[in-house]
Amino acid sequence: MKRLAFLVPVGVAAWLLPYGLGGYSMHVVAVAIIFAILAVGLGLTMGVAGQINLAQVAFFGVGAYTVAILCTRAGFGFWSAAVLALLVSVVFGVLVGIPALRMQSHYLGIVTLGLALAFTNWVTNATVAGRAEGISDIPVPVLFGLELSSAYLFYYVELVVFALALAFALFVTHSPLGRRLRAMRDDDLAAGALGAEIPLLRMTAFVLSGVYGGLAGVLYAGLIRFVAPESFNIANMFLLLAMVIIGGRASILGCVVGALALAAVREALLDVSAYAQLGYGIVVVLVVVFAPTGLAGLPHQFRRLLRRHGSGARLRLGPFQPYEQVAHAGDGENVLEVQGVTMRFKGLVALDDVSLTVPPGQIRGVVGPNGSGKTTLFNIVSGFYTPSAGKVRLRGLDVTGARPYRLSLRGVARTFQNLRLFEDLNVRENILLGLDRTRTSWIWRYAGLPWKVFGYQRALDARADEIIARFGLADFADAVPRALPYGIQRRVETARAMAMSPSLLLLDEPAAGLNGEEVRQLAEIVRSIRDSGATVVVIEHNMGLVMSLCDRITVLASGKVIAEGTPAEVAIAPAVVQAYLGDSMAAPTETAVEEATR
Amino acid sequence: MQVFLQTLIGGVTFGAVYALVAMGFSIVYRTMGLVNFAHGSVVMIGAYAASTFYMATHVPFAIAIVVAIAVTGLIGLVIERFLRPLENKDFTLMLIGTIGFGAVLEAGAVLVWGATGHAVPSPVATEPLDLAGVRIPTYNLVVISVAALATGLLALFLQRTKRGAAMQAVAMDHQAATAVGIHVGRSNAMAFAIGAGLAALAGSLIGPMLYVNPTMGGTLGIKGFAAAMLGGFGSMPGAIVGGVAFGLLDAFAAGNFQEYSELVTFLVFAVVVMIRPTGIFGEATVNRA
Repeated sequence: MKRLAFLVPVGVAAWLLPYGLGGYSMHVVAVAIIFAILAVGLGLTMGVAGQINLAQVAFFGVGAYTVAILCTRAGFGFWSAAVLALLVSVVFGVLVGIPALRMQSHYLGIVTLGLALAFTNWVTNATVAGRAEGISDIPVPVLFGLELSSAYLFYYVELVVFALALAFALFVTHSPLGRRLRAMRDDDLAAGALGAEIPLLRMTAFVLSGVYGGLAGVLYAGLIRFVAPESFNIANMFLLLAMVIIGGRASILGCVVGALALAAVREALLDVSAYAQLGYGIVVVLVVVFAPTGLAGLPHQFRRLLRRHGSGARLRLGPFQPYEQVAHAGDGENVLEVQGVTMRFKGLVALDDVSLTVPPGQIRGVVGPNGSGKTTLFNIVSGFYTPSAGKVRLRGLDVTGARPYRLSLRGVARTFQNLRLFEDLNVRENILLGLDRTRTSWIWRYAGLPWKVFGYQRALDARADEIIARFGLADFADAVPRALPYGIQRRVETARAMAMSPSLLLLDEPAAGLNGEEVRQLAEIVRSIRDSGATVVVIEHNMGLVMSLCDRITVLASGKVIAEGTPAEVAIAPAVVQAYLGDSMAAPTETAVEEATR
Repeated sequence: MQVFLQTLIGGVTFGAVYALVAMGFSIVYRTMGLVNFAHGSVVMIGAYAASTFYMATHVPFAIAIVVAIAVTGLIGLVIERFLRPLENKDFTLMLIGTIGFGAVLEAGAVLVWGATGHAVPSPVATEPLDLAGVRIPTYNLVVISVAALATGLLALFLQRTKRGAAMQAVAMDHQAATAVGIHVGRSNAMAFAIGAGLAALAGSLIGPMLYVNPTMGGTLGIKGFAAAMLGGFGSMPGAIVGGVAFGLLDAFAAGNFQEYSELVTFLVFAVVVMIRPTGIFGEATVNRA
């Protein structure tokens, strides 16, 4: 909150600004604020949520045109038309957002751009929208008996709307919802595995885009009182994009700064608009290559340059503090049951009639040569794949084909073979994501009961501190994962999975890349996790670890279960020996087994 | 029936041009994973370069096309060099970078050629062929055959030459390609230059059929992009089929919905890619965890 204190003088200055401006400059500022609202909306959808939305300018147009049409053709008053216009642009946002459920990045960019063109095409040709001439006789909005006919008066309306819109955007980005949106932007698969309902989050992003576009459109209609197709064309979409990129797409305040700055530049270069466009284009390219975080990221880039010369205190990974032992609920129901699961990818059979049953409180090892289908099995259990045949049950409940977020909320947590930490989020935020167990439908509270969100956030913070301390990560809480050594990243991922308080924890090669001491610590952590009441399934190639850690081991080869039993049984099973060493090798002796299990 | 055939011919002609644009997109996309939003503007520059040179010097149109290809090939190299630091890293940033380049090219065209644009006389001045009452402008046939020829040459290059094979290798796995001694940067640059050359070819061919102006690139680029997506992004046969399919969709939408054709085209396109995001020849992507 203190960091936002600088907004107070800015607000006061903005309030006093009209006293020092001429009529034309006032008009320019009023338009700039409308662009700032649009930029905040685009920053939320594109920068925070990672949805390439090139239809923002169409949402703007939908808002403005709806007001114009309702006021001039249907006799609505300005404010009732404004409310309806906001609703219409939200509906439009949802419709344009539907493709985002099926495609992302450039695909989404081109589809939204196409839909924006479709909108311009409609307004240029439809009689109701005044064709190419547009609609010019929008009535003057009246507020509390005051006619807002001059830009001076309208400016204050805009300022209030803008302040509220900006506050809401900042609130969203700094809340659990914003964190989930950023997680989805960085890695939607991992976000799904952590309980984020990806489809709903994407729609949320487009609804926000519609709200901000609609707000800006309503204000535009009230200020200019004239709408025409060229205000909502692709060139303006590019200008808006340039504002967001130059300002810094992931920072809401950056977007505002970019919007205001570019609006001013555009006005100054109005007579040489071709040179101006050339300029924006070049600046965008330079920003993308040299300062990808935009103006908002410059202070940070600068600070990092300075810090390179200073010497930081050496950071240390603290010891793991074991969980308290909890007796396992003795209802005897199996935590995980995989029954006859088969997975085909086109012609390839990755899993062939695999069954396994894991009772509560067990540490189950899954081993097998590379390509034997271990990770595919995890992907099925955690909901990434739907098996071609067979069933998966969690505590007796059939969850075959359930989405990852559902399984996550049901207590299935996993780690990934290649680590999937959110690179642009720090360690604390990664863990907070694991802690956030709300359904996305909870988000109505953001609009209705924002103070509840603050309370929830505080509760999450306290628990995050606890987990960070337990896993000895206190020194790294504010670091981004890619700056950390590999072994620590592994531990962060385990901590993140445990933040979900899972009943079933799936670890995919947790010891890969760890040194001997780290492997020893890992074994200690996994045992403690089991003692805390969770059931653990672990894929691992480090046989020493598997043999000493696991209660039972399932061996996969070419997609089939070839052996299952205690470590000692499995180590001498002829099928296993053959799968690992080939036929010609002799079976290992008893002493070799002892060696391995030690 | 006659109207239908007439629309069909027009659709296939524009489809051939869209296919060229889509192939340019695809060759860049498959070799370097870059979606070049500046491609449409390169098409526009190609159209301007060819038409200006053709009208100013009165050389055969074919030579004007070659000049245009050389010009845009150079522009392609410049764009690639600028964006090289981002290759195989940040997808969104590269995408926005190319949008920035598109704006630069468009503004450059306005500065060089003015904002109004010009009409290009048809380089083939013979009467339209009359086939059972369907009038086929000879220039349309030229467009279709040139596009087919360019497609054939490109396929030969990609499949029969060492450089083409190297480019395919980079497309499949740029790290493995580096390991076997392929200069990935050079291969990418060449892909970009070829893509830009295809854009110039498309632009030169479409010049006499449309009015050449600085904003034509936006629409052409989006349509070519949509064609590439319809066919399956990165797939060469897909680009051809998608291009012709999109040309037909466009032509029939124009025939049946007149001024609302763009609206209908993009709505139909959005619905089609919703149903099948991978396009006709695109491979189904499997989520890897």
